[in-house]
Amino acid sequence: MNFKIDCRPAAAVLNLSLDPGETITCEVGAMIAMTAGITVETTSHKRGKGGLLKGLKRMFAGENFFLNHFTARHDNQTLMLGPQLMGDIVHHDLDGTLIVQGSSWLASDEGVELDASFQGLGKAIFSGESVFWLKCSGRGDLFLSSFGAIYEVDVDGEFTVDTGHIVAFEDTLDFRIGKASRSLIGSFLGGEGLVCKFSGTGKLYCQSHNPPSFGQMLGPKLRAR
Amino acid sequence: MTSELQFDITQRPDFALLTVQLQKGQKIFAEPSAMASMSNGIRLKAGFKGGWKKTLGRALGGESLIINTFTAEKAGEVTFAPGCPGDTVHYQLDMSTLYLQRGAFMVHSEGVELSGKWGGAKGFFSGKGLVLLKASGTGDLFFNSYGALIEMNVEDEYIVDTGYVVAFEESLDYDVTTVPGMSTGGKIKSFFFGGEGLVVRFRGEGRIWIQSRAVNPFLNWVFPFRPVQKQS
Repeated sequence: MNFKIDCRPAAAVLNLSLDPGETITCEVGAMIAMTAGITVETTSHKRGKGGLLKGLKRMFAGENFFLNHFTARHDNQTLMLGPQLMGDIVHHDLDGTLIVQGSSWLASDEGVELDASFQGLGKAIFSGESVFWLKCSGRGDLFLSSFGAIYEVDVDGEFTVDTGHIVAFEDTLDFRIGKASRSLIGSFLGGEGLVCKFSGTGKLYCQSHNPPSFGQMLGPKLRAR
Repeated sequence: MTSELQFDITQRPDFALLTVQLQKGQKIFAEPSAMASMSNGIRLKAGFKGGWKKTLGRALGGESLIINTFTAEKAGEVTFAPGCPGDTVHYQLDMSTLYLQRGAFMVHSEGVELSGKWGGAKGFFSGKGLVLLKASGTGDLFFNSYGALIEMNVEDEYIVDTGYVVAFEESLDYDVTTVPGMSTGGKIKSFFFGGEGLVVRFRGEGRIWIQSRAVNPFLNWVFPFRPVQKQS
């Protein structure tokens, strides 16, 4: 599978070229355009494997219950994908396990197994993220999207990220919820509230903007529903 | 009429800004509120253009009834920017026609006529409304997008989600359909749950322009953040 990420960073699109029989699984609604020799299949889990429960779990992870599978039927097929929000796309060559924040997963190939992973209720409530995260494991190409620009951090030791800015991290990393400043009052006055403190060694992807803060800024200006 | 229009598009693709240099007496027509700034000596006149039939056609095409006319009483420049952050592209019409998706039109020079085109019932019911605007004649045309604009050369057949089509050449045949190559059951499933609703299938040879983001998914994302009305 060949890929090219264009129009970076604000309005990035993913261009894929598929060989006959190759399949890419992506987020529902991510397809922008494609050539005519590609077929689409909608399932609640991986092709050929039912998994209603996995679909439900994924829904809690902030993803759609359904997944779309695009399979090339002829030579030289191309597919263009894009996320909902303004932002960037990165490619991650997966070999192992990556924990992805629900809405940041864009697409992955057949070698990648998707499952929702439970992060613990306490972490979910205080981090403002969802209870489940998407656990991507196996070997293959994985594409992540972000709101705003995306940046990579190689964590070795400890690293602090504000909640809402996490895109994905390798499972060799562990995180706990902590205060941004020494005192709790100081943390809240500083507008940072609680933060995620990572420890261990591994790769971490962060996004420059925080989607919930943007939504909360827009929301009150809109008419009540 | 055929005097060359001098223009420059900067800050592409995220915040495209169009600057047009006008000679004395030269005119340019723009979508209302597209003007960002202009030099002294440019006169702005708002009004209906091209008779009531064309005006109504434009309204059906999702554009404003009013078109602003900028006339240079002395040489100067006007800058235009689209309503949403995105890209702007120039297209040279030469006795030809370009179809534009709802809301994509920004600026045209003298010699270009805009009218509406009924996209058929399917386009209408898709909600995304493939209601097209037809730009024809000889002159310069500028259109804009939400997100980046990607130009594609269609040689055979190409499929684009209705929400992402911005413009296409008239040499292409098109129809609004569900994603092809599926069983009926699969189609229904994909349509309701797959989120890929309706697509436009282009056939033939010609160029199309696709935007890298669509407005509707963004609106759906914002919706849950709206305040909830208090029950009285």
